[in-house]
Amino acid sequence: MLNIFKKTAIAGAMILSAGAAMADYPEKPIEVIVGYSAGGGTDVMARTAAPFIEKYLGDGASLVVKNMPGASGQIGVTEAANADPDGYTLGTFNLPGMMARTIDREADYDRDSFTYLANVVNDPNVIVTSKDSGLDTLDKLIAEAKENPFAVTVGMSSLGGDDHFALIKLQNLTETEFTIVPFKGSAPARTALLGGHVAMGILNISEVAEFQDQLNVLGVATKERSPFAPELATFQEQGLDLVNGSMRGFIAPKGLPEDVQAKLIDAFSQLSSDQEFLDAMAATANPVEVVTGEDFKQLTSDLYDLAKGVWETTPWN
Amino acid sequence: MYSDLLHALPDVFALTNFAAVIIGVIAGIVVGAMPGLSATMAISVLVPFTFGLEPLVALGLMAGIYNGAMYGGAIPAVLLRIPGTPAAVATTFDGYPMAQKGEGGFALQVAVVSSAFGGIASAFALMLLAPPLSKVTLLFGPSEVFWVAVFGLASIIFLLGGNPVKGLISACFGVFVSVIGSDPIYGNDRFTFGQLEMLDGINIVILLVGLYALPPVIDLLETPLKTGGVSSSKLGTESLWKALPRMKGFWKTWLRGSFLGIWIGILPGAGGSMAAFMSYNEARRTSKNPEEWGEGEPEGVAAAEVANNADTASALIPALTLGIPGTAVAAVMLGGLLVHGLQPGPMLFRDNPDIVFGFMWQFLFGAILLIILGGSLATNSFARLLNLPRPLLGSVIIVLMLIGVYSIHGRMFDVYLMLGFGAVGWVMDRLKFPLPPVVLGLILGGFAEENLRLALRIGRGDPMVLFQNTTSLILVALTVAVIIGPSLKKRFIDSRKAD
Repeated sequence: MLNIFKKTAIAGAMILSAGAAMADYPEKPIEVIVGYSAGGGTDVMARTAAPFIEKYLGDGASLVVKNMPGASGQIGVTEAANADPDGYTLGTFNLPGMMARTIDREADYDRDSFTYLANVVNDPNVIVTSKDSGLDTLDKLIAEAKENPFAVTVGMSSLGGDDHFALIKLQNLTETEFTIVPFKGSAPARTALLGGHVAMGILNISEVAEFQDQLNVLGVATKERSPFAPELATFQEQGLDLVNGSMRGFIAPKGLPEDVQAKLIDAFSQLSSDQEFLDAMAATANPVEVVTGEDFKQLTSDLYDLAKGVWETTPWN
Repeated sequence: MYSDLLHALPDVFALTNFAAVIIGVIAGIVVGAMPGLSATMAISVLVPFTFGLEPLVALGLMAGIYNGAMYGGAIPAVLLRIPGTPAAVATTFDGYPMAQKGEGGFALQVAVVSSAFGGIASAFALMLLAPPLSKVTLLFGPSEVFWVAVFGLASIIFLLGGNPVKGLISACFGVFVSVIGSDPIYGNDRFTFGQLEMLDGINIVILLVGLYALPPVIDLLETPLKTGGVSSSKLGTESLWKALPRMKGFWKTWLRGSFLGIWIGILPGAGGSMAAFMSYNEARRTSKNPEEWGEGEPEGVAAAEVANNADTASALIPALTLGIPGTAVAAVMLGGLLVHGLQPGPMLFRDNPDIVFGFMWQFLFGAILLIILGGSLATNSFARLLNLPRPLLGSVIIVLMLIGVYSIHGRMFDVYLMLGFGAVGWVMDRLKFPLPPVVLGLILGGFAEENLRLALRIGRGDPMVLFQNTTSLILVALTVAVIIGPSLKKRFIDSRKAD
């Protein structure tokens, strides 16, 4: 009897202390695994966001960014997926890349491996053409592509990324076909456009904002004009239902304690109304769009389905 | 624009900003001098710390490191025949024979003055000619870049002398290594054996350290009883002012090397090692006594070192104006710039003139500081290392190599890979296969493949796309000249002898 009482007491004490520990979260530094090298777009997002998350978590919380570059971010995200779900290991997450990697190669994680915290950056796709091409409006571009299938060369950064998915959406919407020229990264693709070596490019708005004078920007793949470059028209304004972009956010391994998850999501959701944060992100070419928790999970799921569908009809490797 | 340039100057001389350049140069020389540690690595380690620094402090450190490391690589290249950085490979050709002849001190002085000359020329190109030179970069699309890579490979195989067949085999090995990893277009895995560590390809530093540092270290360890070392007197040190007059004949080589280095720096990809080889080849070709090259000709050291520093600032021209880095170091620096909200592009010079032009000044002062800091640092500290007993020296270098390679990605896999390349390098060294073509094969092979495939996609499979414009045709002509030139020249000389 006494024994049972003792056990209950111990169990009770343990629950209490566990509860106390959760309430105190975080009581040690939180590691954020970035799957790219320091100074890349994802790294800059993580390091810019870190002090603000610390502020909103309160209690002297500290976030430590750890770079684990390699295999297009796959090494880092796998590490984050397999970490202890105690809230002390978070990771950065890129869409559609991280989902595309589960389709185009073998990955040790899938869309159910994560606790979805928040997407922070949405960098919409833009279609640009070189000044030499003469294709200075969307209508001219589509007319040319219809008349001469595959004649328009499209520079972009790698297959199986957001640029590629945007092109496939465009092809399906307009029943056209283009010749894809996948460069290693956006900057070489943009340079080839400036030099007139390819006619058209699919890039992201942050990558063309500084080059508007030297390229024709035909439209932005967002529902509403991007605050990042409000002077640029969307495709929807021009009657083309093309919405696509590159997204970056934060995840934790699945099975995070509910109160820890709630506390983290709460901290992330406050980012969108923090002007200081928005300014810091704008200065580093990161258009902000905060989507948290379940909505972020749904967004990931939708993008997975899109990528899967594309892969089944037109595999990219 | 030129008023912006002057306007940025006072900030550069702020105490902390200037101290950053000095510390950077010293750190760069040390990093460059250690086999396995490179400027790329040092700057990527630095980038996360720069978030909290003032922009010009952070950028000053980077500019200093970059300049310092490009010279620092020459120190072990001269003293031990181990290039500290990929760009210092050509420095070993004449630098090491000079050290063996007891002229190591002079070789280091030639290296430091040449490096500074190249760095200064490059900084001026960046400050005064960035916008027009960035237009040159735009001329180079995929087919032109493919030909640049082919031209570079052909030069290294056929001009470097020795046996072209062995050179070709070495280059093929390098090109093979470049194929490892996911392919540049579709991302299919090639020769990775399912290892995630190999998906991104083989890092050049791993190959360089294995091939170049391990064989000389084995040699050092093989002679445990000879503890003679090299005394300072044998190093042949004398003051820089006495050494300078001996370099007065180098000005042509310096100008030519600077031009080549700047030129190659603004093209995407090739970087300092190709610049150094091209400069060395050209200087030897026009020399009055080409047969003495490779036996300890100071001008050879000058040619290599001036060119590998002349691409430093010019590699930033496409990086700052177009966002495409000319070298791996420039790529990491772009990250460091982005951290401070400096986004590459035509607006950069307008939006942040004080920081951008300040950064350029820092490059210039970094290069000038090399003369003051580099010479004494090399001869007074690093050269003393040679007085260590050989087995001890060898052990120290092995430890440095292991740390350096491990720290690239923080994984043992790379260390084993490096040891594997070391075994290959040792065998190649014994069989007298040249090692430089392997290094350039890895660097240029990947570029050649990627750009050939991009060009063919643009041409929708038609190979004629490779010959469609003047730039390509000039490069093709140069490549052909490099391949058949030496044998034509030999035939011409033979026929004259027959007469």
